[in-house]
Amino acid sequence: MEATKAFFNKVRDNDIYKQWFKSPLTYVAGAVLLSLFQIITLAVTGNPWGVSGVFANWGAWVYEAFGGSVDKWYYFSSTGAQKTLEAGILNHAGTMRNLGIIVGALFATLMASQFKIKKIKSKKQIVAAVIGGLLMGYGARIAFGCNIGALYSGIASLSLSGWVFAFGMFFGAVVGSKLLVKFFM
Amino acid sequence: MNEKVIDCLGEACPVPLVKAQNELKAMTTGDVLIVQIDHSCAMKNVPEWARKDGHNVEVEEVDDGEWEVIIEKVK
Repeated sequence: MEATKAFFNKVRDNDIYKQWFKSPLTYVAGAVLLSLFQIITLAVTGNPWGVSGVFANWGAWVYEAFGGSVDKWYYFSSTGAQKTLEAGILNHAGTMRNLGIIVGALFATLMASQFKIKKIKSKKQIVAAVIGGLLMGYGARIAFGCNIGALYSGIASLSLSGWVFAFGMFFGAVVGSKLLVKFFM
Repeated sequence: MNEKVIDCLGEACPVPLVKAQNELKAMTTGDVLIVQIDHSCAMKNVPEWARKDGHNVEVEEVDDGEWEVIIEKVK
């Protein structure tokens, strides 16, 4: 037991460990890696990176699991959307990617010894989170994308809509921050 | 030289930063503000802001995923 502890203490003080697993990467390194993975995901799946569309499908599958049907919904009416729903969650590339993000983030946190389950501070926090989450989900589908699909992938695809989204998102964040500080801090 | 501790554990960004900014404004030069955070983005943006404003900053990791940002008000 003592030898194991000593080993991990040595790991913790190792320079390579500190540089690659402990301290955050630079903004530039993050940008380069994100761009690389965006290119890979576009090449492999044929679609640019996006996360919020996946949530809509998860919602549809959960709804269907409880006996509901989204077949008459306009949002899911295209043949592509219907095919995706029929194929199920295990065949869904977007699902695998979102799960990969969650697992990857967990791995990074565990490797840096920074994993912590944070307690909920107050009821106000729950209300703020639920309202914010609902608005984010609704907005992401109305805009056909979120900060990743509509902003990052949009701009990377040289689409003007990406910049329009950026403009809207910026002012939304300003308003949201002021509301957060005023009502929920 | 006063020392003030603010507990921002469990708060989502940008709350720790805003709280730290408000507290530091009300303190005098030479005072020390200790911000307790458990959010890795606050671990980046609170020291960045404090250093940009010219204050002395130290970040200590006190537990898994918990940090104390120690800011000494310099001006």
